[in-house]
Amino acid sequence: MSDGDVQETRTDTPEVEFEKVNKYFGETHVLKDIDLAVENREVVVVIGPSGSGKSTLLRCVNRLEEIQSGEIRIAGESITDPEVDVNRLRQRVGMVFQHFNLFPHKTALENVTLAPVRVRGVPKNEAEQKAEDLLAEVGLGDQADSYPAELSGGQQQRVAIARALAMDPSVMLFDEVTSALDPELVGEVLGVMRNLAEEGMTMLVVTHEMGFAREVGDRVVLMSEGRIVETGPPADLFDSPKTDRAKQFLTRVK
Amino acid sequence: MGETDTRKRGGEAAARDGLVTDERVKWAGVAVSVAFTLAIVGFIALVLLEYVDYGLLFAVVPRFVEAFVRVLRVVVISSVLAVTAGVFVGLGRVSRTSVTHAIATAYVQFFRGTPLLFQLFIIYLGIPSLWPPGEFPVGNWSFATAVIALTLNHAAYVGEAVKGGINAVPAGQMEAARSLGMSYVDSMREIILPQAWRNALAAIGNDQVILVKDTSLLTVIAFPEILTVFREINSNQFDPWTPIVLVAITYLAITLPLMRLVQYLEDRAEWGTQG
Ligand SMILES: Nc1ncnc2c1ncn2[C@@H]1O[C@H](COP(=O)(O)OP(=O)(O)OP(=O)(O)O)[C@@H](O)[C@H]1O
Ligand SMILES: [Mg+2]
Repeated sequence: MSDGDVQETRTDTPEVEFEKVNKYFGETHVLKDIDLAVENREVVVVIGPSGSGKSTLLRCVNRLEEIQSGEIRIAGESITDPEVDVNRLRQRVGMVFQHFNLFPHKTALENVTLAPVRVRGVPKNEAEQKAEDLLAEVGLGDQADSYPAELSGGQQQRVAIARALAMDPSVMLFDEVTSALDPELVGEVLGVMRNLAEEGMTMLVVTHEMGFAREVGDRVVLMSEGRIVETGPPADLFDSPKTDRAKQFLTRVK
Repeated sequence: MGETDTRKRGGEAAARDGLVTDERVKWAGVAVSVAFTLAIVGFIALVLLEYVDYGLLFAVVPRFVEAFVRVLRVVVISSVLAVTAGVFVGLGRVSRTSVTHAIATAYVQFFRGTPLLFQLFIIYLGIPSLWPPGEFPVGNWSFATAVIALTLNHAAYVGEAVKGGINAVPAGQMEAARSLGMSYVDSMREIILPQAWRNALAAIGNDQVILVKDTSLLTVIAFPEILTVFREINSNQFDPWTPIVLVAITYLAITLPLMRLVQYLEDRAEWGTQG
């Protein structure tokens, strides 16, 4: 199986699938019976109040957190199976964090080439060529040799997106990737994400940017207290929410 | 703003804050450090001019050079081994595997919790006694003891420094590495340890300076280190100041370059933050 296939053809198997997922932190029940499928090329936006479990939901997808019951599948393959090679499945899932988490001792280019070279065994010059293309794509063609400390928050976050894309993931996870940015830098990062969505990347996005959710999202999922309380196309969910919980939340964020 | 204005404002501040004003603290600092420097320089001049016997000094320089070379050899070998082993001790200390963690912890507790002098005796006297009398196979056991004890002891301290350095790396670094599909070992080697190393460098360097000074204990295992030479000369000549000067020079000849090396390594690990 080659990695390129996944993005180009529409498949019936969802890229990410939650089935009756339950997650506890000690006594706290953080994810409650989560059922959710992210289809190929779909952009699913997760919204909800602070502490409702959005980050945890994302972090379970690539098993940065362990779940206690249920199953999560990446393109049909269970990542929650204790026997599975988690490093292999993680390569198919790109993740971008709120605080960028770039490697400070590596240049932008090295941040992007590291995993392809170390994990995939891609020859160095090939990886560098591709990294330069990716950096150019996120508008940082001239910053390849800069260290993270020399870049603005918005630039760092775009490098982080390029770094995740370098592994040719079939789905990308974004966890409030603009919340740590100065307001004037939010747009450049959302722009990159919008382009990705237009190119057909499958995305699971946690955000407080309701404008982005409405414009780019194919589907919005509203979480509250560990449950998915409502889900639907952005227009429906934002303009005519069905549940009281959704109405409450939406009046607060508007 | 004129000089008088500044003074006047200083005066007002003094009235408000009582005796301790920024200005007075600054001048008190200057006064104390200048007085201290004058006293020390004066004393050193006095010693060098009146108390050092230069005939004796030049006669015993070769003995200090020999001690310097012997100590430097022990220091370089032990230090390299201690830092290398210390990285693994540190990894053991942050390991989530309970056996590894327990062993690393017990190791650190023993070697930090008992005196180095005692550890030297365990190895120097204890180990050979495990063989029948006269059959212990190692010739220069005091050199070997020196290296083994300094390595084991300082690996414990380096291990704690490395542990602190690892814990100071934000958790998001490991998560970012793992989410790219990198293994734990690769993530440690490529991402966590280089940053932990930078975090721990000052503490590790500090410990290596202490290691140099710890060689003064080697005199008890018949290793002719720097102070051994001092005592020989002093007891033969009843002239403490001549060898004191040479002892100071010999230690500083090791520790000052070592501190420079640590500073160089720290500067090199700035990664774009120094412009
Ligand atoms: N490592 C952890 N240990 C214990 N509890 C945790 C941990 N991480 C999260 N929680 C708890 O789990 C719940 C869900 O947290 P989560 O971070 O997923 O919320 P969130 O929806 O992402 O919130 P926010 O919008 O503030 O980022 C919260 O009650 C939180 O306190
Ligand atoms: Mg969150």
